[in-house]
Amino acid sequence: MAKPKQAGPVTPRPGVPNDDVSFDGLAPGVCRIATSAGVALLAVSVGLGATEGDGFRRFLHSYLVAFMYVLSLGLGALWWVTLQHLVGARWSVVVRRIGELLASSMPALAVLSLPIIASVLLESDRLFPWVDPSFMQSQSALAAKRPYLNPGFFVARWAIYFSFWTALGYWLLRCSLAQDATGGTGPLDGARKVSPLAMIGFAITATCASVDYIMTLDPTWYSTVFGVYYFAGCVIAIHSAMVLIVVFLQHRGRLTRSVTPHHFHDLGKMMFAFTVFWAYIAFSQLLLVWYANLPEETVWYRVRSQGSWFFVAVVLVIGHFGLPFFGLLSRHAKRHRASLSFWAGWLLVLHFVDLYFLIMPTFYPGGVSWRVPDLTTWLGLLALFVADVARRARGRNLVPSRDPRLAESLAFENS
Amino acid sequence: MTATPVSPYQGRPGGENVFARITENVARIAEAPRPPPAWYVAFGISVALLLIFISNLALVAWFGVGLWGTMHPVAWGFPIVNFVFWIGIGHAGTLISAILYLLRQDWRTAISRFAEAMTVFALVCAVVFPGIHVGRPWVSYWMLPYPNQMGMWPQFRSPLEWDLFAVGTYATVSVMFWYLGMVPDFATLRNRAAGPVRRVAYGIAAMGWRGSSRQWHRYERAYLLLAALATPLVLSVHSVVAFDFATSQLPGWHSTIFPPYFVAGAIFGGFAMVVTLVVPARQFFGLASLIQIRHLELMNKIILATGMLVGYAYAMEFFIAWYSGVTFEQFAFVNRAFGPYAWAYWTMILCNLAAPQVFWWKAARTNVWVSLAVGIIVNVGMWFERFVIICTSLSRDFLPSSWGYFVPTAYDYLTLAGSFGLFFTLFLLFCRYLPMVAMAEVKATQPSARVR
Amino acid sequence: MTVHDEPPPRIVAPSAPVLHGLLAEYDDAATLLAAARRVREAGLERWDTFTPFPVHGIDQAMGIRSTVLPWLVFAAGVTGCLVGLLLQYWTNAVDYAWIVSGKPFWSLPANVPIAFALAVLSSALTAFFGMLVLNNLPHPWHPIDLEKRFARSTIDRFFLLIEAADPRFDSVQTRAILDETGPVLVDVVHEDTASPFRTPRAVIHGLVVLLVAALVPFGLLAQARATKSRTPPIHLVRDMDAQPTVKAQQAFPRFADGRGARPAVGGTVAREDQLDEHLTRGTIRGAASRVFPPTVAADRANMGAGRRAFDTYCVPCHGYVGNGDGMVAQRAEALAQGIWVPPTNLNQDHLRRQPVGQLFLSVSDGIRTMPAYGPLVPIEDRWRIIMYVRALQRRSSATIADVPAAERKALE
Repeated sequence: MAKPKQAGPVTPRPGVPNDDVSFDGLAPGVCRIATSAGVALLAVSVGLGATEGDGFRRFLHSYLVAFMYVLSLGLGALWWVTLQHLVGARWSVVVRRIGELLASSMPALAVLSLPIIASVLLESDRLFPWVDPSFMQSQSALAAKRPYLNPGFFVARWAIYFSFWTALGYWLLRCSLAQDATGGTGPLDGARKVSPLAMIGFAITATCASVDYIMTLDPTWYSTVFGVYYFAGCVIAIHSAMVLIVVFLQHRGRLTRSVTPHHFHDLGKMMFAFTVFWAYIAFSQLLLVWYANLPEETVWYRVRSQGSWFFVAVVLVIGHFGLPFFGLLSRHAKRHRASLSFWAGWLLVLHFVDLYFLIMPTFYPGGVSWRVPDLTTWLGLLALFVADVARRARGRNLVPSRDPRLAESLAFENS
Repeated sequence: MTATPVSPYQGRPGGENVFARITENVARIAEAPRPPPAWYVAFGISVALLLIFISNLALVAWFGVGLWGTMHPVAWGFPIVNFVFWIGIGHAGTLISAILYLLRQDWRTAISRFAEAMTVFALVCAVVFPGIHVGRPWVSYWMLPYPNQMGMWPQFRSPLEWDLFAVGTYATVSVMFWYLGMVPDFATLRNRAAGPVRRVAYGIAAMGWRGSSRQWHRYERAYLLLAALATPLVLSVHSVVAFDFATSQLPGWHSTIFPPYFVAGAIFGGFAMVVTLVVPARQFFGLASLIQIRHLELMNKIILATGMLVGYAYAMEFFIAWYSGVTFEQFAFVNRAFGPYAWAYWTMILCNLAAPQVFWWKAARTNVWVSLAVGIIVNVGMWFERFVIICTSLSRDFLPSSWGYFVPTAYDYLTLAGSFGLFFTLFLLFCRYLPMVAMAEVKATQPSARVR
Repeated sequence: MTVHDEPPPRIVAPSAPVLHGLLAEYDDAATLLAAARRVREAGLERWDTFTPFPVHGIDQAMGIRSTVLPWLVFAAGVTGCLVGLLLQYWTNAVDYAWIVSGKPFWSLPANVPIAFALAVLSSALTAFFGMLVLNNLPHPWHPIDLEKRFARSTIDRFFLLIEAADPRFDSVQTRAILDETGPVLVDVVHEDTASPFRTPRAVIHGLVVLLVAALVPFGLLAQARATKSRTPPIHLVRDMDAQPTVKAQQAFPRFADGRGARPAVGGTVAREDQLDEHLTRGTIRGAASRVFPPTVAADRANMGAGRRAFDTYCVPCHGYVGNGDGMVAQRAEALAQGIWVPPTNLNQDHLRRQPVGQLFLSVSDGIRTMPAYGPLVPIEDRWRIIMYVRALQRRSSATIADVPAAERKALE
């Protein structure tokens, strides 16, 4: 778990005029509630997992979905902050710190990923069938993948991903905090210069991570666009999460002047745009696999289009695309906190359904087999993620208050 | 090149305020009695190429497609390569105008008109190729769903039929978008017109636009709506072109990343073409104060970024081909890089991946001639990308006994060269007679236009 | 404006100009914005401002209500999408259903691209033409065009026009309001009573005539669809209808041996040749076989298959009972061109006596003008055809003795 490196409270922190941008008052409460909720929910999940009597197989399946969910929030934040530096965005300065705090959660996520890594290191095929060498010898196409699909390389890749993400998240936050101390754009120069290379690194690692943790569950299946699919979900999730976080903070009297309907409008536009983008990628993948009808590819959609999984697919088409598309189409929906936070919450739930749909049918091809731990593990990991972010927000401003572009961002008007 | 020092385009534009100067700077080009000599040289070459193009098409229509090198197993030779190439070029226009508009990138106003014009002309070039490739262009209308005496309907499950609708829609929307943007500028030219011919001609084009605020209100809303509609459209069109390939089962074609990969490639090539066109135009027509180095630098950055996206797609294809464990997939990519078309493959890699890397340096990004050179190189590379995709996969598929090697004929080369003649003829006429920069939009982004 | 029954005499001095409104000119957008607020406060309704570019904030200043255009576009988009789906459903799943690459007749994923394209197309057309209609464009003539200075409205000046038709318009008071707003100039705009720029009547008449004439081809088309004609259709491009072809057994000088049909290249072995001689060539040790190959048993199933194949391939020339009077033969006789070799009547005695192996060879390799059916019909089917031909021959020479005893009674 990341420790706050900067001894923040020593120097007086300049704020934003007429606004409360400190999280200090809220932090203890949020941390306490989130940590206890997370631990309790996880304990319930482990307990229920033990009663299944399958050596925690079922629990690990729920855990993988939950972990990929919180990972998507962390990756989404990492991408979002890098993008803001890459394009030199000005409107987003008021919400950038929240993104940075989310993006620096990678050490915590690395800890949360340990059960998955452990399942591979213990040579257990509870999650990944390729861990079993005899399975990999069963087909020639699988035997050819041994150089990639083996526990040693898998863990090595895991180490590379998380060290890169941790370093990037930490670097982005440090540059920004340095700016809080000194002011001026100087401290951000590093982030700005690094951002193009960081983006390339992000593209490679995030793609490979989505391949490693989801695609290899079915080692014979492959799709070149899969990384982009997972990425689209990350982007929807992070914008929705930021909306909910800001709405929560405003409800508690923070950022009430800094973040205006104009900023909500832009966050809503991104949610809308990436909802369409998600649908575009999902449709392209489905259409091409369905049309070519190659046995090794089409089997993936076959299990997902039969029995109760078909209804989950319909829920995704309508809930993850159709309803939010029409819901977020109007500018009023994007500018009003109530409607925007409704759709943000909606999309965050549907994002869970999406990941459930990506992962679970591989284990349960017969149909949806819902268990309580599916829900409690998800909420538990989410709570721990929130606790980690809240802990790091303590003693820091929620807005980079000495960024020279802050005035422009505060006065930002969205037509 | 600029032989006449007293060219009407050089020198500071007159006018008592910034709005008048912008108008003067753009309108004097269309109003000048004659264009610079370089224009005549370029126009002469373009028209010559256009005549070659027309005569080639006529020959192919008369004698049949056997004149081309297109032959089994490569049944999609140059015509489809050229089609995808031109349709790709035609994407940056709408992208610059629509997406950058939605992203509030004001700098787009300097180049948007160019890009839109380029889109329309590239689409004209693009639609010729599938039309002639069907072999009997006089019955291409059979693709349309109309009640007919044969009692048949088109096959809507075919990606080639989707192409017709996607490209037709895109052409219609692009023309409307381009024209809508020009209406206020036509009104400006009408009001400045010296003679009755120009006044009537520009007057008809302007449709009686007078800049009423009540009209501007609906106009802006319509423009925004068209931009919002064009954005998913621009993604869909090249995705549909990608479906033409990717719905097949051919290794090297059937890849789920094709739709976004083709879109990224189209933006990449389109921006390169905009740079290729903008650099000479700003030099010859004295538009340097409107189309600034800053704009060029931003375009070069986008070229670099989209070049990296294309690189990502290349890498993903290779990785997944290896990861799939399918022999045919793996062979398709080994064959691409080391087979008989290795020369084309490495040309593509050099042009598309290596060349834009110079834009990591600011000195290269801000140099007009480096930009022009990279723009041309990228366009060559994008042509080769389509050539590589089509020819390597088709020439060597599952069955080695049906392998072949595509050899283009002189007609193939002349048709390709001639299509550039069509494109540049239209483009040069545009430079001569139409407002090259969106005057009203540039005015609206001036500091003195921002009032409250 | 008064309506004259007759054109006024030319000599009369120009009639008193009719007031259209007051036009104020401003040299920057900020002043115009303030003026617009002032005019709106004054409660005027029929007025407008003219600017070279869309001025930010003028909508609020003038109180322009949001246009209905987005709703029209939305409706058009939904309509376009539904029409697209319906079109594809009707044409490919109902009216002309045929299987393509194993896909269902109604393949929703494959219908998405076109439904999407039509949704975008219809909404974009609505956005474009809806804007023109709502904005009352094209609008060629307007009284302010007579104002010379107004030409700068599309260049760098800002104008405000208050129409005299406004109920609160008062030439003195309204002018006073405008004067307060800091204009460069306030001018009077008159109605365009005798403009030389009116569209000449002849042009309008010409356009009407053209419009009517443009309908004629459609009328002719409709008539052609509704009536019948004995003349063949006009075929501008002959395509492959008129291409030179070499028919089987025809002479063709391009080849050295002068034959159109090409014999097999020396040394080639057809796949069938490796099989049983009896089955593939109908011979036993070189002599035409008198019996069917053992793999083609004389049973009901084979006879049925033979009949189906005969009806498909042979009936057009030989006729349903093999008398040589098929539709092709009848047509050829009717044309009476004199070059026709009639198809053989299969019910002749010498054919009844011919060994089945020889009949099989004739079918397989062709004979006289009849082409070879070997490449077209699977080998067993050819034998089944011969079996059916034998049945036909038996039928044509049948006597009462051929009828089984049990059924003979019924006939008698």
